[in-house]
Amino acid sequence: MTAIDLRAPESEHAILSVRGLVKSFGGLKAINDVSFEAQAQQVTALIGPNGAGKTTVFNLITNILPKDAGKVMFLGRDLSGLSAVKIAELGLIRTFQSARVFPGMTAIENVMVGGHRLAAHSLPSQSFWLRGARDEERHLRRRAEEMLELVGLLSFAQSHASELPMGAQKLLEVVRALMARPKLLCLDEPAAGLNDTETRELANLLRAIRSLGIPVLIVEHNMALVMGVADRIVVIDSGNLIAAGTPGEIQNNNRVIEAYLGRDDAAS
Amino acid sequence: MLEFAQIAIGGLVVGSAYAAIALGFSLVYRVTGAINLSQGGFAIIAAMIGYTFAVDWGWPLLAAIPAAVAVTVALGVALAAFTFVPALAQLSNANVLMLTAGILTMIEGFVLAVWGSQPYAMPPFSGEQPLAFGAILIPAQAFWVFGAIALCIAALWFLIAKTKLGKSLRACAENPSAASLMGIDVPKMTLLSFGLATLIAAISGVIVAPTTSLQFDTGRLFTISGFVAAAIGGIASFPGAIIGGLFLGLVTQLATAYLSSLFSSAISLLILLAVLIWRPQGLIQAGVSRRQDTREEVKAVGHAAKLPARLGWPLAALAVVAAALIPQVVTDNGIMSSLVIAAILFMALMGLDVLMGYAGQVSLGQAGFMAIGGYTSGYLVVNDDVAPILAVLVGIGVSLLCALVLSVVTLRLRGLYLALATLAFGLLIDSCAIGFIDITGGPSGLVGIPSFSLSGFTFATPRAMYYLVLTLDVIILAGLVGAMRSGFGRALKAIRSDQMAAAALGINTVRTKLVAFMISVTLASMAGSFYAFFFNFLAPEMVGTSRSLELVAMLIIGGESTLLGGLFGALLLTLLPVIFAPLAIYKTFASGALLVASFLYLPQGLYGGLVKILMSLFRPRRDGAAKSVAQRQGRAP
Repeated sequence: MTAIDLRAPESEHAILSVRGLVKSFGGLKAINDVSFEAQAQQVTALIGPNGAGKTTVFNLITNILPKDAGKVMFLGRDLSGLSAVKIAELGLIRTFQSARVFPGMTAIENVMVGGHRLAAHSLPSQSFWLRGARDEERHLRRRAEEMLELVGLLSFAQSHASELPMGAQKLLEVVRALMARPKLLCLDEPAAGLNDTETRELANLLRAIRSLGIPVLIVEHNMALVMGVADRIVVIDSGNLIAAGTPGEIQNNNRVIEAYLGRDDAAS
Repeated sequence: MLEFAQIAIGGLVVGSAYAAIALGFSLVYRVTGAINLSQGGFAIIAAMIGYTFAVDWGWPLLAAIPAAVAVTVALGVALAAFTFVPALAQLSNANVLMLTAGILTMIEGFVLAVWGSQPYAMPPFSGEQPLAFGAILIPAQAFWVFGAIALCIAALWFLIAKTKLGKSLRACAENPSAASLMGIDVPKMTLLSFGLATLIAAISGVIVAPTTSLQFDTGRLFTISGFVAAAIGGIASFPGAIIGGLFLGLVTQLATAYLSSLFSSAISLLILLAVLIWRPQGLIQAGVSRRQDTREEVKAVGHAAKLPARLGWPLAALAVVAAALIPQVVTDNGIMSSLVIAAILFMALMGLDVLMGYAGQVSLGQAGFMAIGGYTSGYLVVNDDVAPILAVLVGIGVSLLCALVLSVVTLRLRGLYLALATLAFGLLIDSCAIGFIDITGGPSGLVGIPSFSLSGFTFATPRAMYYLVLTLDVIILAGLVGAMRSGFGRALKAIRSDQMAAAALGINTVRTKLVAFMISVTLASMAGSFYAFFFNFLAPEMVGTSRSLELVAMLIIGGESTLLGGLFGALLLTLLPVIFAPLAIYKTFASGALLVASFLYLPQGLYGGLVKILMSLFRPRRDGAAKSVAQRQGRAP
């Protein structure tokens, strides 16, 4: 193995910079010295075969799992020790691998919850039905409707989220995160469980998000989707970073091909 | 030393019963993941049936005791087949817990209706003559108790560890979905575990009966003590249950003997709260934990009934006008008083709904805050001549202070353990209300509380009080509806259905839950104060744990997360016994049965049912509304 330094030089435009991430479960080293960056205005994809540790990286970034070593900087701030709420307040909004829509709420309510962190009007002004709170509510509802429109779910606005098909739930989760006006949108396998049509809709949505200038970090399994939307791809395998570059570079990278095709578990 | 030994043996006798009940808790919990609060109910029912067979009908003990146990187990299994087992498939574990609280209330009501409220004394099995060991006298019944409980434990151990049936039970305990894939009939195993727990409870009830006095609500005592014992020892562990039970029995008996009987339960509850802070899983942790890989949220979150705004506003206006006119029509003072009581309880219920219905935090101690508010304001007005309105505010302040302390414990806990902590808190307040005689008047209550008055006007009649409470209710309801339809309410619902996803969107889950808790405490405290002012009197049982359970029943019967639902539950349970006075004795039974029935057959409560009826009545208008929505969508770019 040749020692190639895959670490990109820390650039000024990096929204998120991950340095030397390490995580072991018991004796097993799940993540071994992974470093990468997500740039402004770009879609960065984190890919790798099954069990490569992609979601683990995600959970380490968002402090859902404690990391053994390494540093995660977001907009120049060290994320270590921050709670999930604090991280979201900074503008790093994530979705989950299994669509976690709020089942007891309607689709539009789900999306509106996304706008919660930006709402300025307090509980008392909501309780007294003050004009400001009502205006904000109306504004929030309008934005949520626009979001649903964006993914073609407006006609389901009043349906209960749990009654929507899986694909719709995934899209709903993405626009819910968008409502929170993320400074970096982190999507954990958004295409998992989607059929081809739904995946195409997702790809369109991702392109729309990029055109809005919102940086995205996406963990994904579906190569076609990633190659279609990502500006930069980071590949990990067995917890190690094996390649990083543009989709074109990655497609021709031997180590990546080996990692995906040289094994039995590279089904997708 | 001699005295100590004597007391310790007494403690072990009581503790054995607790241990048996705790064992039942542990068994059902391990197999189903749910807590079965009806345990103690079966103990008392077995004891009562045993009394009837042995004393009233004169059967020999050898026939009466097994017969009583058999009848109880049959009853328990039948009840479980129609309530507990189907509920497990539909309800979250926290709701199953409340359903079993409903079963307990039902059993209590049944015992009250059949045997009345007087105490019974079962004769000891082998005479009154105690056995002497040197200077220590041990009542003969103690040997029966030790023997029976030891036999139960041994038999249960053999069944679980050595038989194929036990293996199936253990499989259900570790992973119910995998167990069902392996061909194990999980509902049958659930029923079996419930039946076994009932059997243990029945045996312990019959055997312990001669050492205590039996009353319709003794079952609650068994349940609570067994529950506390199981929680202290570790709910998922059999040895934990046994150790917890014996420990609890010893501590309460020693505390009763050396300190005061008034505080004996307070001590055990403080121990429980300390255990919950220190290690929520209990002193002894189970070797194998139950797998939680099946997602529960879908089961946990029902769809709340909601009227469309188009219908809601006119109906709300109509309802307020109708409510304001009621005193012009109703002349009966009894009914008027019940309406006031319902309106006061509705205040507490709105708070409970914010906490339980919206935020999904189970609270079995809501009446505890009614007690704090009621006693504080009552005491201040009686002893220090404080203006009632000021007293109400001070009551709220004290309640909030207690709530803050409690939240140190509860914010870390969820689901079952949260329910447990709030229950323990409510019971702690119960025993303080009885124990702090100088402040609360003890068991006989705080007397001489004047009627509520405001700037010279005294709300002395039910009618005046009605208007006062109605006004407050409307204001509170309007405020809460405003909050619940906006960001705050959505944040609560989000937390209720998926805490982690809510946090990932930047919702401060801890703070939001705390605010919901504070709202519920404020309203409960207010309700408690007005309750005291209205009755001019406050006794512990008026704002005790049975009241907490009744509030939960009212909320579920009326409809959760609707805000208004509580009113329907409160009206039903307060008005019915007044209107049909001969049926008053069935009130407890009915409130339990209705709670269970609502959980199973009317998940959106009475309010949900009403909304459905209204929606179908106004269907043409609703179609119009749907059309206008469609038009709006058409116009959207």
